[in-house]
Amino acid sequence: MAFLFRNKQKNHAELVQSTKKLTIQLSEDSKPNPKVEEELARDLAQMKIRLQGTPDAEVNQEMVFQLLSFIIQEDLLYSLANNIHRLPFESRKDAQVVFSTAFRYKPVGASDPQVLHHVIQFRPQIIISLCRGYDRRESAMPCGGVLREALKYDSIAALLLYDEPVADGKTRDLGDVNPDEPSSGNGVFWTFFEWIDKGAFEVSADAFNTFRDILTKHKALVAQYLQTNFDLFFTKYNTILVQSESYVTKRQSIKLLGEILLDRANYNVMTQYVDSGEHLKIIMKLLRDDRKMINYEGFHVFKVFVANPNKSVAVQRILISNREKLLRFLPNFLEDRTDDEQFMDEKSFLIRQIEQLPPVPVPPPNAA
Amino acid sequence: MAEAYTVLEELGSGSFGTVYKAIEKATGETVAIKLIDLENSSDELSDIQAEIGLLSTCKSPYVTEYKTSFVKGVKLWIVMEFLGGGSALDLMKPGPFSEAHVAVVCKQLLLGLEYLHSTGKIHRDIKAANVLLTDSGKVKLADFGVAAQLNDYKSQRHTFVGTPYWMAPEVIQEAGYDFKADVWSLGITAVEMVKGEPPNAQIHAMKALFVIPKNPPPRLEGDNYSRDFKDFIAQCLIKDPDRRASAKELLEHRFIKRAGKTEAMRELIERKQMFDAQQETTTHLKYYEETMVDLSPRTEDDGWIFDTIKQASIAPARQNMQAPSRRKMSRISSSDGGPAPMMQRMDMNAAPLGSVTDSPIPERRRPSSRKSSEATVVHEDPSTMPTVRRVSNVPKQPLGVDLTFGNSPSTVRHFKRVSSGERRTALSANNPPGANPFHPNPHAKTFRPSPPDSANPLDDPNDENSPPAPVYPPAPVTKDALYGRRAYGKVLDSVFQEAYANSASPHQREALGGVHQAWAQLDLVDPQGEFMLMKAMIDRLQSDSKLASALGISVSPAPTPKHTTKNSESLSGTTVHGTSTTRIRSSTTTTSTYSKTSGEHTSSPREPSFQSPVSTPSRTKSPSPLKGPKFILAQSNPHLKSHRRRQSGVVGGEKVYDRALDEKKLPGHVEPGMEQQGLLADILYGQWMQGLRSRWPLA
Repeated sequence: MAFLFRNKQKNHAELVQSTKKLTIQLSEDSKPNPKVEEELARDLAQMKIRLQGTPDAEVNQEMVFQLLSFIIQEDLLYSLANNIHRLPFESRKDAQVVFSTAFRYKPVGASDPQVLHHVIQFRPQIIISLCRGYDRRESAMPCGGVLREALKYDSIAALLLYDEPVADGKTRDLGDVNPDEPSSGNGVFWTFFEWIDKGAFEVSADAFNTFRDILTKHKALVAQYLQTNFDLFFTKYNTILVQSESYVTKRQSIKLLGEILLDRANYNVMTQYVDSGEHLKIIMKLLRDDRKMINYEGFHVFKVFVANPNKSVAVQRILISNREKLLRFLPNFLEDRTDDEQFMDEKSFLIRQIEQLPPVPVPPPNAA
Repeated sequence: MAEAYTVLEELGSGSFGTVYKAIEKATGETVAIKLIDLENSSDELSDIQAEIGLLSTCKSPYVTEYKTSFVKGVKLWIVMEFLGGGSALDLMKPGPFSEAHVAVVCKQLLLGLEYLHSTGKIHRDIKAANVLLTDSGKVKLADFGVAAQLNDYKSQRHTFVGTPYWMAPEVIQEAGYDFKADVWSLGITAVEMVKGEPPNAQIHAMKALFVIPKNPPPRLEGDNYSRDFKDFIAQCLIKDPDRRASAKELLEHRFIKRAGKTEAMRELIERKQMFDAQQETTTHLKYYEETMVDLSPRTEDDGWIFDTIKQASIAPARQNMQAPSRRKMSRISSSDGGPAPMMQRMDMNAAPLGSVTDSPIPERRRPSSRKSSEATVVHEDPSTMPTVRRVSNVPKQPLGVDLTFGNSPSTVRHFKRVSSGERRTALSANNPPGANPFHPNPHAKTFRPSPPDSANPLDDPNDENSPPAPVYPPAPVTKDALYGRRAYGKVLDSVFQEAYANSASPHQREALGGVHQAWAQLDLVDPQGEFMLMKAMIDRLQSDSKLASALGISVSPAPTPKHTTKNSESLSGTTVHGTSTTRIRSSTTTTSTYSKTSGEHTSSPREPSFQSPVSTPSRTKSPSPLKGPKFILAQSNPHLKSHRRRQSGVVGGEKVYDRALDEKKLPGHVEPGMEQQGLLADILYGQWMQGLRSRWPLA
């Protein structure tokens, strides 16, 4: 028990310094070094306990504050974020706790998460590095957990959305961002498409959850962003996600698409989306997919096209030329979903709408 | 990924999917692979992900090891460590454990719980069936299907989850609980192992849910058990979670301290092997086989026309379907039109090698209530008590069809694991699969209405011109039929279940089950007749003043459909709803209201504590509940026919083009007697337009 005793004696500064030193050492060693790993694991476990307490012992807020100050001072989070995948198994979770507690930390009475604030202002690279955790299976889950914790704040979402690669390796200051300027498509946000599409199941699923959080929890921000980057976003979304080879990715992204479109905040995005005949084609193919949950999720996007009172000519043309087919197809479409009342209602509504289509496309009254 | 494994025989199956034994080709290691069909899984994708997320952050010698997972086609493969010793429940088949063995298992479980709890996880479903052993006797916790991850040590959970007999009182009461809930379940599991079944096993699971919080905690009594053991149980089973010992503290208990090594468990594994050998149950192994389905070529008609036709030349649809468009289409839809992608869709579940009929299925279903299957990795083998799991859109089971009794699973099939949000769904999912060809229903014909019916003054005036169609697949949708369906789905079904749950003796149960089943079939075959039957019953009952007052149905001029006569307090503990899916689907308030139809059972205990705070039973007291738009509800009753269709594996939307019936489904077609449907559609349409206006204010 000698080592435990020694560790208990490490003060906050020593603990943080030691952790940082070991983390960097771990990242530099080409081959695994069990001794370093072991000691780092002890340090991180200790740090976790000091930040989180144990079931039996509550933490002292004063001590948490001190420890976090040292963590910031030493810029420990950055080293950790870059090296989570190198940590031993349990230490990854400990590191996750360190991050989460730090990001959640608010001084008594304050509404501002102090540490997170600092990170956004001075060390946004930490957030970007956490996203890069999706590059590896080992780090995906802990990083994802931390990211979703941080994504409770709009500024983190903004940071991810407006990230652009800069030559000197720095990240952009959020103050400089012009939201009307289209994205280059090379920032970290766009890499999510690859993580979702290419990753192992857990990575992909976790990345998707984070992706969904970015897109659904920051409505005003995202609405603006999607309008500016409409073509880039939906081209990628349609080709990489909606038409993904992976069943899970495909199904989840169609569902998310429906959620995005039907969100009031995204009204303009939605109208623009449902004007496109190309989009309609993609969605109509989903209705014919041989997997019924794909059909079902596709339906919830399709209905937006049909229910739109100002259908574009392109959309009308497709619907009209398929009118007979649709009227034959829809009544039997997923007809075993009898317990889904809303679905049945919506289906009959769509049928009625399609019946009432004019014989030839009529330009919408306020066509742009 | 899938190619990296050689999949061998099936180990077990349940609502979650099927578990196979497999060999990892690269290492030669034996693994267990759980295959979940994501298309048909009743769980949300996110729940499955959560389970995997939780598992993948566990690494402990006391927890089954998760290796990897991947998606192939529509199936999720979860690769786990293979545990050859079977579950503790399996090992109990030859007989209960000795106290010494229980001590060994408890010690290992406590070590596992200590690990889980220290990383902020609650297992929430500790029971013998979820305790697996390696060949060498090592004990591991399995099945994290309902486990939870807490953010910090102080947070609590409220979700109603677990398996009834093993659930801690604070979980049942939804009062907020934490790690200590697992300790209670562990105590119950210890009793289970030494006695062969958990306390209260003789009463029905539903009733156990009332009994556990109400009664004093179970204790071990008698000279057969050591004082230490009794004390250990007493420490685990303290109703107040704050006074209950933690896993860590229990590791210091004398009973655990003197527990032997895991090698001792070998004895039980060998005992089980001997037992199996003596039983000579030569089971037919079911092997994994990939099957290709859906190779039928698609019809020409299949596919959309995405031709860009000039506006002027918009031609009747017939022409569009012809050659030029098809040429174009092949270019457009190459991604999903051809047969190639269909080839990729393989059904891994279908057609095991052995013929299905003499496969071990009947074996597993045999009515020995607590005996489990041959399967070794059974988490939720159908014959073990199914855990209350999240939503079950799973095949619906009528009460008492495969009638075993007591705590046997069949009676509580609907008792899948449920989170508090979805218990209502689970309950309402009890609608019968209905058609059981072996139980013809004598009433079906007797009470068939003969409209226009002067003999039945209570007949709905709207109904006068509805000639009941003589053929019943599909049942004609008349208003009465809708009422009938509604009455059954919303009221009678649950009444039957309640009555069933409350009756103790197997004979009563059997009788009730029979009635229920018969009624279920009536509902399936002839909902209209069902309604008439109920009406007639009410009528007669009302006319007998004594009965009427006893039942609380006053004689009133207005016809009072039975299901609205009186709504009892409703066992809404089982009908809780909470979070619904994010999608904007209206959450139907499917409140299961239990009427007092089955008078003799109404005195069953009703615990107010069981009532969920969120449940909002909409008790329709109005004499004609079917006025207004809610009337549509009846349509939503799930019934077997659709289920059959789903299970037949035919892809929806492709099959019925040629059916003569088809036309009737087309909009605009008014069937005789269905005129009120037009009204319905109008209401519906109006609602829709309103919804849309708020969405598209321009319109």
